[in-house]
Amino acid sequence: MSINGWFPLSLAASVTPGSSTGAVLQGQDIVLWRDASGAPHAWEDRCPHRGMKLSFGFVRGDHIACLYHGWEYGADGQCRSIPAHPKLEVPKTICATTYGIAESGGLLWAGLGEHGEAPDLPAADPVRSVQIEAPINAVLAALPTAFGATGLSLDGPLAMLDTEWGRLAIGLHELGPQRTALHLTRRLDPEDEDSTPARIALARAATRLRDQVEAATHHAAAVPGTPQQGETA
Amino acid sequence: MSQPLLYDYALDADCYGIRLAAGCLGIELALRSVDVHPGQEQLSPAMLALNPQGRLPVLTDGALTLTQTLSILLYLAESYAPDHPLMPQDALTGARMLDWMSLAAATLAPCAQARACAMMNAPGTLTQLRRDARRALRLFDDHMALQGLRGEGFLAGPEATLADLMLFPAFALTRDYGLDHDAFPALALWARRVRRLPGFHTMPGVPDYH
Ligand code: FES
Repeated sequence: MSINGWFPLSLAASVTPGSSTGAVLQGQDIVLWRDASGAPHAWEDRCPHRGMKLSFGFVRGDHIACLYHGWEYGADGQCRSIPAHPKLEVPKTICATTYGIAESGGLLWAGLGEHGEAPDLPAADPVRSVQIEAPINAVLAALPTAFGATGLSLDGPLAMLDTEWGRLAIGLHELGPQRTALHLTRRLDPEDEDSTPARIALARAATRLRDQVEAATHHAAAVPGTPQQGETA
Repeated sequence: MSQPLLYDYALDADCYGIRLAAGCLGIELALRSVDVHPGQEQLSPAMLALNPQGRLPVLTDGALTLTQTLSILLYLAESYAPDHPLMPQDALTGARMLDWMSLAAATLAPCAQARACAMMNAPGTLTQLRRDARRALRLFDDHMALQGLRGEGFLAGPEATLADLMLFPAFALTRDYGLDHDAFPALALWARRVRRLPGFHTMPGVPDYH
């Protein structure tokens, strides 16, 4: 299956300089990492050597190193160093698969396939990310009530809600058929003195939403005759 | 002064938590290695005499024998490093620390069970145990997400306490049973802070990359 477009995979603030994290998108493993200078990268989460997840590795300067045998890759995906063969001029063919990357609206976006222009969004503060064991449609249906919003507008994988705690911009992230992540941001508001109380209220509402959607989904799954979907743990 | 003795198994998450806390507190533990796998030595008559539950950790110090991570951590800190910054000096932070330590003691058993099931074929259904472990760790991720918004980097406040060291092994070892850290972004940020504490060290399964 090929995926095309830009996908929000994390809050920008969740990936700090010099760190890496895994992110699953519709079943595909992606590694997000920031080099020491703070520049973000999105690659296939697979070391070209033996297939170890690069997200288990660690960042050194502007390289990411695989945890397994220590092969290091530069920002362009090219392998730069193989510790077992320190003198070797590493062949150009050893290269990790790289994706488009954008940091916009407080989110990190990966561009896959024919992805076109990167999103260009207004600045926003991070709230939190939640992972929900439920299909994305069940999560979407519950969003307006959970945040006391009258309606929801969708712009691709970005859901916008006007709430009593301000303007919520949520990155929708489908990990698989039964698992959805929400990356919640709150648009900056010139009226704000301190957005912390509003963001705490939104974070709590997101946690409640997760618990309610999961309870409803698992209740439905437990009813005999309801088709049981794949294992999600 | 006597020296506390930890009956230790290198791959046990609780034993690691105690070694980790002792290292950060600057306490030298005597270690007596117990062959849990494959030897099942924790079930030997000598070990059962120390701890009838047949499990680690066990810490002895003179006439004292302790078998719970929470009481071992508090005993070590109060007896050997009472003024250490990991031991809060104000009642409020101290109460919060104890609350999070009690919650860790009460809820994190599925993490150890899932790991034993995946690594040592211990009984249980891995998918169910993994789900239970995810649920347990989520309580802590929810809390750390709020702490981050408050500008506080650790469980009990802006500074690290014993509670953070007690939680660290359970979080750091989830990949041993196929639970990735992307489900807990707030804990992942927190773990990077724990790794920077003076005296921090790792165990097998917890990558050492700093
Ligand atoms: S699998 Fe990555 S270096 Fe060997």
